[in-house]
Amino acid sequence: MSVPRGAVHAKWIVGKVIGTKMQKTAKVRVTRLVLDPYLLKFFNKRKTYFAHDPLQQCVVGDIVLLKALPERRSKHVKHELAEIVFKVGKVIDPITGKPCAGTRFIENLSDSENLTEADTTYLSEKLQELKVCSTDK
Amino acid sequence: MPMKGRFPIRRTLQYLSQGDVIFKSSVKVMTVNYNTSGELSEGARKFVFFNIPQIQYKNPWVQIALFRNMTPSPFLRFYLDTGEQVLVDVEAKTNKEITEHIKKILGKSKETLEKEERERKKLSHPATFGPKKYHLRECMCEIEGQVPCPAFVPLPKEMRGKYKAAMKNEA
Repeated sequence: MSVPRGAVHAKWIVGKVIGTKMQKTAKVRVTRLVLDPYLLKFFNKRKTYFAHDPLQQCVVGDIVLLKALPERRSKHVKHELAEIVFKVGKVIDPITGKPCAGTRFIENLSDSENLTEADTTYLSEKLQELKVCSTDK
Repeated sequence: MPMKGRFPIRRTLQYLSQGDVIFKSSVKVMTVNYNTSGELSEGARKFVFFNIPQIQYKNPWVQIALFRNMTPSPFLRFYLDTGEQVLVDVEAKTNKEITEHIKKILGKSKETLEKEERERKKLSHPATFGPKKYHLRECMCEIEGQVPCPAFVPLPKEMRGKYKAAMKNEA
């Protein structure tokens, strides 16, 4: 019996990284929707997978895509990191390609190039007022 | 006594089985990013509320992950077995349009479904009798026009083995 790829049922999974304390391994929590037989409602069921992350580039909170390895790497590690879908804190909107946070885009934070002359003089005046002079007592 | 909840019809087997989006076998993961507020995300929200249960019921082996308020624009992303990713922008679309679109791009076509149905029908023979799990009918007595079940209506004398044996002995 040949197993072409994946000694495990789940070939591709998307999950959230919950732990990176292991060397080159990320602990990923995967949620699937499971139907409750009486309520007939779908609930999230969690399962943790361990994924091989050779460059240790995952941070807790990233959303990652895991790919099943052809054979098990160790007792628990059966997947490897395919790509980081959303990096925590640096989410990039795939439609526009711009960085965003929540429901707003993060505009370019350094505005110093767009300041006019009047703005710079005004700001420097304000800075002068704030300057604390040492008064000898 | 009415059902509990906002739209409890979503929690009926009839509603769930009415979903007509059946994904191709190469689709493994479906990710939905949507926002909880805003006009543009309204269709996506309705899609998640009404159509996701139907889709998951029909495709139990597809992982569906929902992400809320991560990006300003709502979208769907599918991860296929080949490693390919399909990005679907659902900004300012109604939930019906979204289901139609994904049915068109990643759903099994009607011909494929019919062919699979025919294959499944071929495996089971409709003319055999046996347990309900594998056959249509359990006994000939269930069919109208045939001899009724002796458990409910006693057989006429001539059909009973006792009478037949007595007649043979006599002759």
